[in-house]
Amino acid sequence: MSAAPPILETHQLTGGYGKVQVLRGISIAVGEGERVGLFGPNGHGKTTLLKTISGLMRPWGGSIRFRGQAIERSSPGVIVGLGLIHVPQGNTLFPELTVQETLELGAFTPRVRANKAQNLERAFALFPRLAERRRQLCKTLSGGERQMVSISVGLMCEPRLLILDEPTLGLAPKVKDELCEAIGVISGGGVSLLLVEQDIEFLLALTDRLFMVDHGEVTREVRSETGLDHAQIMDLYFGVEARQ
Amino acid sequence: MSGWESVLTSGIVLGSLYALMASGLTLVWSTLGIFNFMHGVLMTVGAYLAWQFAVDRGFGLGLGLGIVLAVVCLVALGCLVEILLIRPFYGRKDLVQVTVMTTLAGLTFLENSTLLIWGPRLKQLPPVVEGQFRLLGLTMSNQEALIVLLSPLILLALWVFLRFTRVGNAIRAVGQNRESAQLMGLNVQALFMTTFALATVLAGLAGVLLGSIRFITPTLGSDPLTKALIVSIFGGLGSVGGSIGAAYVVGMLEATSVFAFGLYWTPSILFVVMIVVLIFRPNGLFGRQS
Amino acid sequence: MRLRWAVGAVLLLLLVPLAVDNSYVRHLFILAFIYAVLASNWDFSQGYGGIFNFGHLSFFGLGAYSSGILIKQLEWNPWLALLVSGAVPVLAALLVGLPVVRLKGIYVVLVTFAFGQLCLQLILSQAGLTGGSQGLVSIEGLWLGDYALSADGKLGYYYVGLGLLALSTLYLRWLVRSDFGLSVQALRDQEEYAAARGISLPHTRLLTLMASSLFTGIAGGFYAIYLGVVSPDVFSFAITSTVLGMLLLGGLATIYGPILAAFIITFGSEVLVSLGPVRFLIIAGLTILVLRLLPGGLYSVLELFQSRPGRSVPTRQGRPE
Repeated sequence: MSAAPPILETHQLTGGYGKVQVLRGISIAVGEGERVGLFGPNGHGKTTLLKTISGLMRPWGGSIRFRGQAIERSSPGVIVGLGLIHVPQGNTLFPELTVQETLELGAFTPRVRANKAQNLERAFALFPRLAERRRQLCKTLSGGERQMVSISVGLMCEPRLLILDEPTLGLAPKVKDELCEAIGVISGGGVSLLLVEQDIEFLLALTDRLFMVDHGEVTREVRSETGLDHAQIMDLYFGVEARQ
Repeated sequence: MSGWESVLTSGIVLGSLYALMASGLTLVWSTLGIFNFMHGVLMTVGAYLAWQFAVDRGFGLGLGLGIVLAVVCLVALGCLVEILLIRPFYGRKDLVQVTVMTTLAGLTFLENSTLLIWGPRLKQLPPVVEGQFRLLGLTMSNQEALIVLLSPLILLALWVFLRFTRVGNAIRAVGQNRESAQLMGLNVQALFMTTFALATVLAGLAGVLLGSIRFITPTLGSDPLTKALIVSIFGGLGSVGGSIGAAYVVGMLEATSVFAFGLYWTPSILFVVMIVVLIFRPNGLFGRQS
Repeated sequence: MRLRWAVGAVLLLLLVPLAVDNSYVRHLFILAFIYAVLASNWDFSQGYGGIFNFGHLSFFGLGAYSSGILIKQLEWNPWLALLVSGAVPVLAALLVGLPVVRLKGIYVVLVTFAFGQLCLQLILSQAGLTGGSQGLVSIEGLWLGDYALSADGKLGYYYVGLGLLALSTLYLRWLVRSDFGLSVQALRDQEEYAAARGISLPHTRLLTLMASSLFTGIAGGFYAIYLGVVSPDVFSFAITSTVLGMLLLGGLATIYGPILAAFIITFGSEVLVSLGPVRFLIIAGLTILVLRLLPGGLYSVLELFQSRPGRSVPTRQGRPE
C-alpha cells in the first residue's frame, strides 16, 4: 500500500440502480498524490462506483472517506467543495454555453471563487486551444476539445483528487497523446488521480497502481512499476471473458 | 387603412403580454423540465396582490410600492409552490405527467383561493399613465404604450440576467445538463427554486400590466395561459428567445384574425394553426430536436 | 378474483333502488355511474396506453352535444341519438390522434388540451346549432313505450346508467386482455422493443385513443339526455381536473380503481358542497397528497390487503418496474 495516508478510501461499498445491485462491496484506497487506475470490462460497475463516490448516487451500504471525512451521505455540491472533482464520461457539457461561461461556472464553489481569473489562465495555459475558442459554444467543439473543457472545468474547482471517467473515449491517437501529457502535468502538480480508462497504454502511462473491477468487486490489485505490461493486462481481460 | 392600424396596435400589445407570459413558461420548462399549468393563475395572483397593496380600497400604498410588495410576495409564493408541488417529484420517471397534475391541482387551489379572498367583483388597477398618443399613424393609449415598452425592457433584463450573471449562467447550465452541473458543485435544488420564483415574478408582472387594461377576475390568467401555451408550441418550448419571437407572431396573428374573421373564429383558427404546425414540426416552429 | 368483487358490486348496485327511494341520492348514483365510465375509459388511454390525453373530456362533451343536437335540432329518437353519440367522439379521436401519435411527452398534453379548447370554441361560435354559450335546454328524455325513465324517482335512468357502466367495464376488461390491449401496454412499457417486434406505434396509439372515446361519448350522450341540458361547461377545466382526480385517486391502469374513486369523489364532494369554493381547495389538496403519499392510488392499497405471498403488487403508477 502507499505510505502516505489515503486521500480517498472506500470500504465495502455497495450500491446500484433501483433494485439492481451493481457494487458488491468495493474497497479501494487512493493515497495522497497517488495515481490510481480502474480497469475491467464495461458494465461491471466502474462508472457506478465513481458516481457513488462523487455523491450523484446514494450508496446502499459501506463507507467513503475523503481526507478523513465521511462523505457517503454528502451532496455532490459539498463533495466538490472538499476538492473531490469527478469529470464524467462522454461529457456532453452545456451545448448552449460558451467555453468561457462553462469554465467560469466551474468556479461556482465558494472555496475557489476568488481564484477564478488565476485558474482560468492556468487552464488556458494547459490547453491553449481553449483560449482560442473561449467565445465558442460548447456544441461547436470537437470531441477532444470538449474533453479538454471538461478537464479544465475540473481544474477550476482546484481539485485535490481528480476523477476522470474514460477521458479518451472516441478520440484520435494524437488527441489522446495531448490529453495524456496534460493529465500528467496536472498530477505532477500534486493532484491525486483516479482514472477509469479502456486504453491500456494510456492507463499504464498515467498510473502507479491499478484495480481491476469485475462484477461489482475488486478482483485484483496490481502495481504498474512491477513491470506489468500491456500483454499481461490483456491476459487479465481475456481471463475475465473466459470465466463468463 | 384604419382597420389595419388597429390590427397592428393590438397585435403589438398582445404580443408584448404573451412574450412576458411565455418567457416564464419556457424558462421553467427548459430548466426544470416541467410544464407549469399554474402560470396563468400566478399571473392573476400577481394582479390581485398589486391591487390589494396599491388601491385605496386595499391597503392604499400607491402603485409603485404596491408592485414592489407584490413582487416580494410572488417570490415567496413561487418558492412555496416549487417546494410543495414540484420538488417531491424530481426523481420520478413520470415527472412531466405528475407535475402536470400537481400544477393543475395548484391552479384549482389558487383560483378558488382568489375567489374566496377577493370575491367575484371586478377589480382594476389604476393606469400608470393616462391619455393616448399617436405615432406614425398608430393610436395607442399611453397605458398600452407603456406595456409595449416595459415588456421588452423586462425581457431584456431577463436576458442580461441569464447571459451575464453567475446565477443566470448556472440556471442555463442546469437546464442543459443536470448531472454535469451537480458535479461542478452547483446547488441544483436552489437553482430550480430560483428559476421557479423568477418565472412566478414574470407571470405576476404580466398580470399587473394586464390588470390595468382589463378587469381582474379569478380567471384573468386562463386565457393568457392558453395563449402562452400556443406561443410556447410555436417557439418550441426549448428556448426563451424563440418563444419571445413567437409571442409577437401569435399576437399579430390573433389581431389579424380578429380583424379578418371576427372575434368568435379567432381562437379556433389559432388552435388549428397550432395543431397544423405540430403535425409538420413536432418540436415546434422554431424548436430543435430535444 | 377481481371479477368476483365486480359482480358482487353490480348485484349490490342492482338492489340499491329497493333500499333508496330518495331521488336525489339516486341522482348522485347516476352521476357516479357517468363519471365512472368517463374515468375508467380515460384510464385505458392514460394508464394502459401511457398517452396523456388532456382532451378526454372533449370526447365526453362531443358525445353530449351530438345527442343534444340530434334530438333537439334534428328530432331524432333519443335512444338512437344515444347510440350515435358514441360514434362522433370516435371520429374526433381519429382527427386529434393523427397529429398526437407522432408527438411525445408534453406536446401530447398541449395538443390534446388545445383540441379540447378548439371544440369549445367551435361550439361557442356555432350558436345556431349548439345554442352558443347558453347551450341546449329541454332535450327530450328517454322513454320505454309510455314509461318515462325519469318516473318513479329516476328508476329507469338509474338502471340504464348502471347498465352503461357494466357494459363499459366489460368492454374495457376485454380490451385490456385482448392482443390489442397487450400491445398497447407493451408500447407503454418498452416502446422501442415493442416497435422492434412489429407493433406499429402510430397505428396502436391511434386505435387506443379511439377505443377510449367510444363509451366516453355514449356517457356524454347519456349525461345530456338525463339532465335534459347541455352547456359548454362540459368542456370546462373543472370537470377535467375532477375526473383526473378520480383517475389518480383510484390508481392508473387498474380500471376498477378509477370506478371506485368516481363513487367516492361524487358522493364526497356532495358532502362538501355546502362549503362552496373551499370544496375545491380540499379536493386540490387531497389530489396532491395522494400523488405524494399514494402513487399507486387507492387500488394499490386494496391490492395490499388481498395480496398473497409471491404475488406482485403493482408499483408506482400501477405498472411493474
